[in-house]
Amino acid sequence: MTQSHYKNLSDRWRARHQDLTKKLWSKHKESLDWLSNNYKQLIAGSLGGLMLLTGQAVNSQPFLHQASALEPSVKKVDKKVFLISDLVKVLPSEVRALDTDEEQKVSDILTRTFGFKVAPVLQGKRLNRNYGLIGAEQHLARYPGDVLSTHFDSEEDSKAYWQSGMAPGLGAWGYFATSGNFLSQLDKDREKYYIAVQTFLSKDFSSRFAEYRDFYKYRKMLVVNPNNGRGIIADIADAGPGESTGKHLGGSPEVMHYLERVDGSLRGPVLYFFIDDPDDKIKLGPINQ
Amino acid sequence: MRKKYFYTHIVDTSILSLELGDMDLTPKERIHLISLMDANIHHEILDLILSELNPEDKKTFLTYLASEDHDKVWKFLNEKVENIEEKIKKTAEDLKKELHKDIKEVKGNKML
Repeated sequence: MTQSHYKNLSDRWRARHQDLTKKLWSKHKESLDWLSNNYKQLIAGSLGGLMLLTGQAVNSQPFLHQASALEPSVKKVDKKVFLISDLVKVLPSEVRALDTDEEQKVSDILTRTFGFKVAPVLQGKRLNRNYGLIGAEQHLARYPGDVLSTHFDSEEDSKAYWQSGMAPGLGAWGYFATSGNFLSQLDKDREKYYIAVQTFLSKDFSSRFAEYRDFYKYRKMLVVNPNNGRGIIADIADAGPGESTGKHLGGSPEVMHYLERVDGSLRGPVLYFFIDDPDDKIKLGPINQ
Repeated sequence: MRKKYFYTHIVDTSILSLELGDMDLTPKERIHLISLMDANIHHEILDLILSELNPEDKKTFLTYLASEDHDKVWKFLNEKVENIEEKIKKTAEDLKKELHKDIKEVKGNKML
């Protein structure tokens, strides 16, 4: 039960921390922007302001950064601080679909921050929205016979993610591999870092079904928690959630954990934009900023 | 080692740390939960203080905070905000009660 008690409490307190961070930024944006703009000068020789501006205190190794050299830490945190600050200026206070102008500004911020091109529209196709509430999905069977006892590569992963369970059905594109023998690292990553998006709400989805089905299959997206600046490269491997749920997309257990998002009453928003990666060079998984 | 904040001497979180100590947690998990608890208290207190200050004073406070000069922080806050120490204590106490409730609920739910 240790893992469950720990996870339950850490989920609650991380969500609370993110709410507090959001409240702090929305109430005192001007002053915090000022601090961001003068950040390097202010913390030269000190890490005192870091907890104020980022969610780094809530990561799973909270004290490691204090032991590392100052300059890399500052550089690492700096990027997230500016990302959070930039997004606060652009995103609406309520979670709603972004208008064209907002989409463009967010795309520019994310492209600049992460160093690769992201866009709300790719090859003339777009999702119904790219700012929405994320819910928790379950693990997907990667090949016939894949169950929880075969699903994890390490004891650590098993401990952390077992309790999320297996989805009763397959992902929107079926199994990732025909058998365990043919399961590649890419197949594993596609399941591990998958998201479910409302493909069926795309404009003209029904009339251009085959075209959209092929376009969305394992399409890479950048998913960002705007409250803590964490970003992950995910792929679309399922369709959902239904409109009646009030959620706009779903994340695998691993995606949710990294983004520090939880389901239920404490759920929160993320940004999700297409990645323009024609040569398929960008790897799936968390982005270490 | 836990970080020392300018208010550490007036905000006692030992009751929560002890509650966590009674739970079946690994040392790493316990340390992480304590850091989350500290981060929540820190943000709540910062929100309280910033809400009491005008825009210029906020900048001054943030500068002192970032420089970790606790004496300057206290001197400044005592000049600018009436009963700031009591207000910080109350804010922290209110949040501690909520965090304590979370712990009790998690400990009480054997099925979790």
